[in-house]
Amino acid sequence: MKTWQRSLMAAFALLALFGGVAYAQAPGAPPVEFPYTGNRTAVWIVAQLHILFAGFILGAPIFVVISEWLGYRKQDPRYDRLAKEVTKVTVILYSMTALTGGLFIFVLLATYPQFTTWLINHFYLLFAVVYPLLFISETILLYLYFYTWDSWKGEKKARHIALGVLLNLIGTITLFVIDGPTSFMNTPVKAEGISPQEFLATASLWDKVANYSWMPLNLHRLVGNVTFGGFVAGLIAAYMFMGAKKDEERAYYDWMGFVGNLIGVGALLFLPFMGYLLAYELCDYDASICPYMMADQLSMFFEMQGAMIGLIFLASNYYIWLSMKRIEGVEKVRMTILAPIAMVLLPLVMTKVMTDYPVPDPMSLAFLLPLILAPFTLGRLIPLTVSARTVIKVGFLMVVVGDAIWLTPHGFVPTGAKLVAELELPSDWNFLALMPAKNSAAFTLVFVTVVNYVIYNRAISQGTIVWGKIDFASQFVLIFLAFSAIWTMGLMGAVRSLLRKYYHTYNLLPDFTAESFTPTLSYSAWWITGITVVFYAVVSFAIIVTLRPSDSKGHAPEGSPAPAGGK
Amino acid sequence: MGNVIKKLMIGLVVGGALIGVTRALEFPVIFQMMFFAYAMLGAVVFMILDAPALTPMSGLKSVIVLVVFYIVLCTVYISGASMWPQYDPEDEKGKIAKILKPKFAATQQGKAEELIARAKALDEQTKALAVRLKALGGDQATKDQSAGGSGASPATAGAATGDFMKLGEEQWQLQECYNCHKLKGEGGKKRGPELDNIATYLSVDDIKQKILDPKSFMAEGFEKEYEKGKMPDKYKDLMEEKDVVALASWLGTFKNTSVNTPKPIKKK
Repeated sequence: MKTWQRSLMAAFALLALFGGVAYAQAPGAPPVEFPYTGNRTAVWIVAQLHILFAGFILGAPIFVVISEWLGYRKQDPRYDRLAKEVTKVTVILYSMTALTGGLFIFVLLATYPQFTTWLINHFYLLFAVVYPLLFISETILLYLYFYTWDSWKGEKKARHIALGVLLNLIGTITLFVIDGPTSFMNTPVKAEGISPQEFLATASLWDKVANYSWMPLNLHRLVGNVTFGGFVAGLIAAYMFMGAKKDEERAYYDWMGFVGNLIGVGALLFLPFMGYLLAYELCDYDASICPYMMADQLSMFFEMQGAMIGLIFLASNYYIWLSMKRIEGVEKVRMTILAPIAMVLLPLVMTKVMTDYPVPDPMSLAFLLPLILAPFTLGRLIPLTVSARTVIKVGFLMVVVGDAIWLTPHGFVPTGAKLVAELELPSDWNFLALMPAKNSAAFTLVFVTVVNYVIYNRAISQGTIVWGKIDFASQFVLIFLAFSAIWTMGLMGAVRSLLRKYYHTYNLLPDFTAESFTPTLSYSAWWITGITVVFYAVVSFAIIVTLRPSDSKGHAPEGSPAPAGGK
Repeated sequence: MGNVIKKLMIGLVVGGALIGVTRALEFPVIFQMMFFAYAMLGAVVFMILDAPALTPMSGLKSVIVLVVFYIVLCTVYISGASMWPQYDPEDEKGKIAKILKPKFAATQQGKAEELIARAKALDEQTKALAVRLKALGGDQATKDQSAGGSGASPATAGAATGDFMKLGEEQWQLQECYNCHKLKGEGGKKRGPELDNIATYLSVDDIKQKILDPKSFMAEGFEKEYEKGKMPDKYKDLMEEKDVVALASWLGTFKNTSVNTPKPIKKK
């Protein structure tokens, strides 16, 4: 049986499972008791694993098809090879997505039968018809896309790219569809003056799907998936670079790592804002969610998130730094002095402006846009310049400052109820813990990263990239980025789920089990790390199994660049 | 090595300066330490930036280094997360049980469990009565009953009022009103008005109406919050009638005119 046939069977099994679930409801069936982990953590593990696999198989094809298109347009075979290699890994992980998806629904039914039945009943059409049909369509399209890669070349390449676009379209719709019930659990439909139960009884399927946090979650996950896919592509490149025996291979995988990281970082720049949008909508839905997230039970989860995002930005900028070092002639690159000045001023000015004109007041843009654009618009008019190295070092300093602002809490307590003066910011400095300061920190990280890429772009236009000669430490940076991005996904996934507090569906369906409390950050970190390691092990195995044989067979380096001297 | 020492020294100097400045600005010690840690983070970042290139590895050595790298990452993330202050789930469990108790009682399972519990209690009472009757005789039992059956004394009524107020205060804690409203100098993040003088403006019935229908009154100066519906419109569904009355009655006792509670404007 071929791989695509096996996967098709897996998809049918999933359809049968979903259909079966809807029919085989057994009201009153007692839930099973998972030993050691407990029921909630058992569901957590399987759900998180499923989301990680699903995130990759939905995110990777987005940049795969862009890469394929770039290869076609630029007539650069490296892009095509990158796209194909990532697709190979995607195909293996696709089966894992189906497997963990089936396992997820099975564990959910066994542990929370009443709630699962209730949810399936509310989204019956989605779970039993729409989602399986989309999943099957995506399966067929993915395998068609992969197996027609070599045959649809030349004149037929455009057709192949169109197939990839269709695959992404179906994948995105699948994501949006499954986000319906997911976001519904956080922000179920409601209307002023009517009880949630009454309103739910009259609500249509569309009302339930298009709830408050649905679109913000869609956008957040879409961008998150691309980030994640980009970093995993970087991980693939790092593994292959470390294992490469020829200079051509090292040159190619150095290039692939750079592109993967570029995609990951490019999407990462939008993530803080997408996350902010989601949090904003959640708080708008119910103002009591906001303190639960930021000031009470989950506040330290957000501290950890700040630490992780800070590390990710530091690492991604360090990768640019190492990438610059392998460009011959980089020492000649200079930039306007306005760039480091804007970097230094940004957190101060933005905190002040956003305090005076809070989001979503557009007035803040009137002050911020001129400052941000000054290096690019006024830069040519001012003769003072500094070396690229200086700009990047100032940038690193500001990344550290940005991290510091992001991390500074209102108090070193896990809940506002335990706040005492010895653990609280002085009142004059309380602004450091408020949203304008946090927004300014996030924006500083983004701005510095953009400036660094602008410098990199200038460097490659003035110098020569020596592919394959990057500092070996860069491969650990790529691995670190992938690991940290996955860990952060796990952390924020836990936060989104925990926001339902002691409800399966917020304010609508209480969770009467003994596990409906907020776990500690430490406990959560153990499981998040465990899940990340399992996911990593599977992905590493998939990479080795998929890509190593091509090397041993004396694989023709279809997309290998010249190892040195070529741009 | 010279690079490391130089960066370390700069980090220590900057960190020391930050400690001095933050101490002068009366930051608590924990924040002083945090700023010192930021300075050291900066020093480490700059040490790494100027570190010599790593020698390429391959084969078994690279695999071992990679595994060690993963172990370090896992250890750092777990220990890093464990170093932040940890929320104690025990603080929440009692609250959740109290909030969900009436909801659970309303479910079929809850009703069944309550019936079983009642049947068990009745059974035990019957057994206990039978034992007492046997031991003491019928007259004694009648005397015992009449002794406590003359209605509640003023002291009992006072205790009942006290319990009712206690229930109101408990609802304040359970519903976490303190997250948005300051009261008795505690809680509040300026999301909602300070309530120490609320009874000067609103009757218990008005407060009850505000809880059940947040759009019924708007506090002066909170126009933006009112427009956005900041106060959740959910308590009519989440709270029992008696709990809302208890909370409103408890808040109705706050008449501290020295606190500037904004004036509520009736909207509905």
